[in-house]
Amino acid sequence: MQNREERQTYKDYLQVLKECSPYDFCEYSDNSIDRRIQKIMQDYRLNLDELIYKTRTDEEFVELVVEAITVNTTELFRDPPVWKHLYEKVYWALKSRPKINIWHAGCSSGQEVYSNLILLDIMGLADKCEIYATDISKKSLEVANSGSYKYNFNFQKYLNNFQDAFPNLPKEKFLGYFDIDESKDRMSVKPSLLGKAKFIKHDLVKQPLPFYNKFDLIFCRNVLIYFNSGLQSRIIQKFHDTLFPGGAMVLGTHESINGFFKTKFAKNGPVYERTNTFHFKY
Amino acid sequence: MYNQDQTYKVIVMGGSAGSFSVVSHILAGINPEFKIPIVLCLHRLKHVRSGLVEGLSLKSVIPVVEPNDKAKLRPNTVYLAPSNYHLFLELDGSIALSTEESFNHSRPSIDYTLSSAAYAFRDRVLGILLTGANKDGARGIKEIADNKGFTIVQDPKSCDIDTMPRSALQLFQPDLVLDPQQILEFLNALPQ
Repeated sequence: MQNREERQTYKDYLQVLKECSPYDFCEYSDNSIDRRIQKIMQDYRLNLDELIYKTRTDEEFVELVVEAITVNTTELFRDPPVWKHLYEKVYWALKSRPKINIWHAGCSSGQEVYSNLILLDIMGLADKCEIYATDISKKSLEVANSGSYKYNFNFQKYLNNFQDAFPNLPKEKFLGYFDIDESKDRMSVKPSLLGKAKFIKHDLVKQPLPFYNKFDLIFCRNVLIYFNSGLQSRIIQKFHDTLFPGGAMVLGTHESINGFFKTKFAKNGPVYERTNTFHFKY
Repeated sequence: MYNQDQTYKVIVMGGSAGSFSVVSHILAGINPEFKIPIVLCLHRLKHVRSGLVEGLSLKSVIPVVEPNDKAKLRPNTVYLAPSNYHLFLELDGSIALSTEESFNHSRPSIDYTLSSAAYAFRDRVLGILLTGANKDGARGIKEIADNKGFTIVQDPKSCDIDTMPRSALQLFQPDLVLDPQQILEFLNALPQ
């Protein structure tokens, strides 16, 4: 992989990026960020000095770096048991509410948002939901807004996920939410679902929240794994403070809460529910 | 060369097609008091994402877990890379997960796990590459050797599909080439 001196220089590079752009990756976990920076240097054939020079002088290049550093992999209905739980437990409990506020933090290209919209639509809840979806990557948000994905590469995986999550629903239900154009290799979310979620460019690490609402449900899946523990805790605190008591947080299947905030959430299946305990400032 | 007094901090094992029965055999016969943490990175079929932990736990005499991100390595435990995540070892002895793009058409990628172990633990890693139908893992185990870790490759003659060990043997010469029973005996003879 690389030697220890190189690792130090990557840290220096993050400092440069912090100084001359609005982004701060200093508290991302070392392991992944090193590999991403290495990949950028390979892809653009730059050595570290050239990379630093280009970052200082070329604003458009900085955006490309941000795209390359952030991980954008996602699927429709990733981890079927999670969606099954949302369907059978979480949304049933929210059914009688007049309004449901949902935030997808780090929504990438939007597959999770549309998975959720499809589920809500199936349950007849879509109209009373207010859905915000945020991400740091402009390019991902453009894809998310279009709701159009590659067909061949994705379709079977997405359909399998759906069927694993909802074995009682016919697969036509799933197909009904997409316009499929095999000749163009596209599967596009039906216009009726487009525009129901508001996609907003937002840096979870540095910017204040772009809304005043509190939320019933926050999705933030496989985002925190790229942060170090200190940053993780700060983001969890943000989520905690912006959730209604009893509201829930959906993390990635192999993410967990450590440290102080562990006591502020109760784990119920794959979701973390905000408990309503007091906490004191010392 | 193998050093009698060397104690290893971690054992990382990678495998693909056919490796389930080899790993089961090893975990069933290993000393129940075996201290060194074992990290497994096994490819699995895309549509069968769960059940591997349960399958391995049936026979294993030490606990098998799919770790969460940032979990610390503990003695007498087997860590299995969760499906659909890459698994890395960090300098502080913790585990990092990632959903980055597939590498060598694989997530988890064995190369990623093995080379992160080589980087984090240097000569204190014991790397084992088992049977498989893919070249993922060959470069990773070579990196362990390059960093003076100890390396074992499963004898291609004892493999269901020998693409993985063969591509490793093309790249470098491991310390030992053993069949599954010999690997088990070797592990049980390690100083704890």
